[in-house]
Amino acid sequence: MTMRRTNKRSLVQTCICLTVLLAIGLWLSLFTGVAAIPLQTVLKQWSLAEPSKELLIFQTIRLPRAVLGALIGANLAVAGALMQAITRNPFASPQVFGVNAGASLVVVLAILFLPSIGSANLIYFAFAGAILGGFTVLGFASSRGMTNLKIALVGMAVHLLLTSITKGLIIYNEHISDVMFWLSGSISGATWADVRMILPWSVLGLALAAGLAGSLSVFRLGEEVAMGLGQKIVVVRLLACAAIVILGGASVAVAGAVGFIGLMIPHIARKLVGTDYRAVIFASAWGGAVLVTYSDVVARLISFPFESPVGIVTALLGTPFFLYLARKKGRELV
Amino acid sequence: MKVDTTAASSKRSSRKAIALFALAAVTIVAAFLGMSVGSVYVAPGQIVAIWTGESSSLSFIVENYRLPRAILAILAGAGFAISGVILQGMIRNPLASPDVIGVTKGAGLFAVAIILFFPHASPLVLPLFAFLGALAVALALIAFARKSGAQPSTFALVGLGVGAVCQALTEFVLVKYPMQANDSLVWLAGSLWGKGWDEIYGLLPWLCVLIPAAFALHRQLDIISLDEHSSTGLGLRVSQSRYGLLLLAVALAGACVAAIGSIGFIGLLAPQIARKLFGNQHRILLPGAAIIGALILVIADAIGRGVNPPVEIPAGILTALIGVPYFLYLVRVEKKRT
Repeated sequence: MTMRRTNKRSLVQTCICLTVLLAIGLWLSLFTGVAAIPLQTVLKQWSLAEPSKELLIFQTIRLPRAVLGALIGANLAVAGALMQAITRNPFASPQVFGVNAGASLVVVLAILFLPSIGSANLIYFAFAGAILGGFTVLGFASSRGMTNLKIALVGMAVHLLLTSITKGLIIYNEHISDVMFWLSGSISGATWADVRMILPWSVLGLALAAGLAGSLSVFRLGEEVAMGLGQKIVVVRLLACAAIVILGGASVAVAGAVGFIGLMIPHIARKLVGTDYRAVIFASAWGGAVLVTYSDVVARLISFPFESPVGIVTALLGTPFFLYLARKKGRELV
Repeated sequence: MKVDTTAASSKRSSRKAIALFALAAVTIVAAFLGMSVGSVYVAPGQIVAIWTGESSSLSFIVENYRLPRAILAILAGAGFAISGVILQGMIRNPLASPDVIGVTKGAGLFAVAIILFFPHASPLVLPLFAFLGALAVALALIAFARKSGAQPSTFALVGLGVGAVCQALTEFVLVKYPMQANDSLVWLAGSLWGKGWDEIYGLLPWLCVLIPAAFALHRQLDIISLDEHSSTGLGLRVSQSRYGLLLLAVALAGACVAAIGSIGFIGLLAPQIARKLFGNQHRILLPGAAIIGALILVIADAIGRGVNPPVEIPAGILTALIGVPYFLYLVRVEKKRT
């Protein structure tokens, strides 16, 4: 990869483009769906004491869904960017490194064996699961002689294992189709409660990521260089891991495993804005929000009027990207 | 039972033959003992009594549930294992197996689509569509591998990726038609639950053709698992026999998936264990792997049925629990060799 320093102009251009895209996406997300809700209705009735059915749908279903989608996209993309920075592995992402699958597994366990647990507490189980999945893979990754490709292979295998355990567990669950829907990654049932639950964690994780961004740019040059330039490697790495767990776990707890966002977006972001991680993280957050917002609109339309999990759309987009990476990197590393 | 894996003198090969028969006996005993396990315990003595014609309240359970399941486990285990042997030999890749390279996922996708869209389709057409799904994935992989000069791990990685696409599509189908999803989900996780004589009749004709065909091709497999130049030098039409073998492996995997769902990692584990025990000669490796595959599936099914009756753990989850750590181990070992 060529070390391209961030060009101010390309950063500004990218930001403008992404903001416009996000705005259009949110607009589509808000006004696409089974119920047709004209803008005039929304504007006219916004401050009325007794809102109509349309406005109610708009306020309690469409709006939280759009907000949640954007938040989750930003979370997962930034988590992916952080993972790629600290492992210097192009395949690193919450999906490929077992974070999503681990979080899903522990959340399903909690739902099954602690049925009285409030949904607000599930987020802590998701954190624990994210740590479980991520560290299993990272444990392998840290042994010597592992190529990036092999680590990706290990990650996919761990993902497979955790997912198959999860599948085995949900067979016993009576609300099987609900859990299935959640597992495939979905934000169709988003409520303001979900947004409230995830928001503080998102803010915390994103802030942490932004704070680490400067150090991460140095990280990409290699461990020795980073150490030589006065980076506290262990501290930076631990903080980054904490941010990854928070961002990935919180997203899974609310929306299930929406895959491949964290894999795709950081690559695209680096292409757009260069390798300065302050810019990459910023662009990743915007890009992830854009991608999930559009994917969610598509998920609503592919079997209209029925909902499909957004995770399926992102998987269908992400896997070709993954294959492309495997091919490119496979050739590079042979 | 430590068997040298180098040259095959006649003494060694007779010892291997004895080991083969011993394993076969173990498998049959395991299947027999496994039949007594379940939500209703049937003592082994009682099973014998039922077979010899004594009618009892349990004879229905034994004849219609336990016996067909045991037979099916043996058949499908052998099928997956042979498919794995062929793929590993053909691609010259120890990580290859129908599940790792996504072939079973492709078969699963097509089969789920058929089950949901044509619920009254006869179980006999299911293998055909599963085969088509498996074939589609296999062809996609080959095309990909050819362009990128695939290394073992690249190939496996791409296979896992393709498998993920099929998985996503399968999940989409399942989520879209939740009413029937419960059945397909059990099926997808790979389980012998509720399988009976119908599935055996669906699977048996395929195996009767494909397994002998695989045995007949054992010499070609020996040659093709050498490197490219040697196999051409030994007078083999490499690309032709490679496509033939691929079709064979894919058809086997497809038929087994159609019968019992995508039970993972047998196609990876069984050939590897058989290689350790019987060496690399396909004449003895093929039957060895088949027996080991049957044994693994029989045990997995019995455990899944017996751990927490009446709830069943799908056998596919148990095989994944053993198989994934082994897969990870293989990835590590491969690293040290290169």
